[in-house]
Amino acid sequence: MVKRNGLTLTDVLVTVVIALVFSFIYSIWGGVYTALEPLGLHLNQLLYGMWFIAAVVAYLIIRKPGVALIAEFAAASGETIVLLQFDVMLIVYGLIQGLACEIVFAIVKYKSTSLMVAVTAGVAAALSTLPLDWYYGYLGQLATWNLLLMFGFRVLSGALIAGGLAHLLYQGLKGTGVLKLVGRKVPADEGL
Amino acid sequence: MLEAIRHYSTPADQVNPLTKILIAVGLFLTVIFIHDPNHLFHLSILMLILLALLSGVKIRYLALFTVTILFFGMISSLYMIFYGEGTTTLLRFGIVHITEESAVRGLHIMMRGVVLSFFGALIVFTTRLTDVFYSMMQQGRLKPKFAYAFMAAIRMVPIIAGEYMTLRRARKVRRPLIHRKYISGYKGFSTTIITLLSQSIRRAYRLGIAMESKGFDDGARTYYHRTSFSVLDIIFIIVIILTVISASELGQWYSPFPTRDAR
Repeated sequence: MVKRNGLTLTDVLVTVVIALVFSFIYSIWGGVYTALEPLGLHLNQLLYGMWFIAAVVAYLIIRKPGVALIAEFAAASGETIVLLQFDVMLIVYGLIQGLACEIVFAIVKYKSTSLMVAVTAGVAAALSTLPLDWYYGYLGQLATWNLLLMFGFRVLSGALIAGGLAHLLYQGLKGTGVLKLVGRKVPADEGL
Repeated sequence: MLEAIRHYSTPADQVNPLTKILIAVGLFLTVIFIHDPNHLFHLSILMLILLALLSGVKIRYLALFTVTILFFGMISSLYMIFYGEGTTTLLRFGIVHITEESAVRGLHIMMRGVVLSFFGALIVFTTRLTDVFYSMMQQGRLKPKFAYAFMAAIRMVPIIAGEYMTLRRARKVRRPLIHRKYISGYKGFSTTIITLLSQSIRRAYRLGIAMESKGFDDGARTYYHRTSFSVLDIIFIIVIILTVISASELGQWYSPFPTRDAR
């Protein structure tokens, strides 16, 4: 393969497939998210980080500009493909969350694969859609304790699932040796 | 798409996918700025009528779909109904405090979701998935490597699903022999997803290299499948705009909700 730093078709394909695996998994588990909703206590927000885990995992694997955004777009549209359900909101949200991750990764110049970067990206993505939710779901008119609960759960979930879990999966994948095939080639001493 | 559950094809099939998606985004932005529940009430009814007329889906599937959408919409707005702020109490039960204001606001949020779901369904029923990417390349100036990567990845979804089922069956057979932690809990989750991911990455890598060498990369190319804009796109846009406006007018004429502002 020609060594290039821009995205190649293979990079994009690998990114999209990673995102689709995740969207497939959470199409199955989407039931859990919905099942936690009726109480209105935002327990479902604890799973919220799952929606942008794809962006973090794809970045950790490929480490090139644009990957997080593509992964999020693919994961969001993955639901359309897997469940045959087109949801504009999901795609808009996905793009915003991907962009938030992308900004964090740009700050570390697409080099670091440390846990901290993953966690920061997770939290950034969790916070990124709050303004939109604020308008869409009239969050300002919610009882304060309930709002704080939602806020806390979401950030916690972003840090734990999109950050922590993503990093664990990355290390697991590294153990399988498959990552030698893909991603930006870095000197051996770099990264984790 | 989904020809099996459709009666007939409609003019909406000929509308460019890009137009439909842009309208969907526009509708999302419009819905966020509608605060009158009466307006939304009529908009969701008109959207359902549009869906019924333009999708050509058989009536029982449509009914099933509508019920599902309403049910999930209801569930996702319960947080506002139960815990929203308001002054006129309807019911108080433990920490649940339903007020007239919060109930209206909850229904308002639900109807937002319903309007978007109906339009989304119209898109799914009338659009072929591959056409979306063709029109993004041809009219949207998307680079071919992105579009073809997406289309190739979509073809892998059944393989991924199959692999997942195999994995599940293998675990089921071995259940009495292995430790429980490999079936449920974090270990079970991570072994499943790492297996799926590593296999998919390998397959995607092989396919990617093959596609690159066959020229599915950037650069000028010709297309067998062509998509284009037509006068139908303009008609479709006008129909949607008229729907939003007439819903607003109908809301003035018949108001099922006592308030004009859900906030």
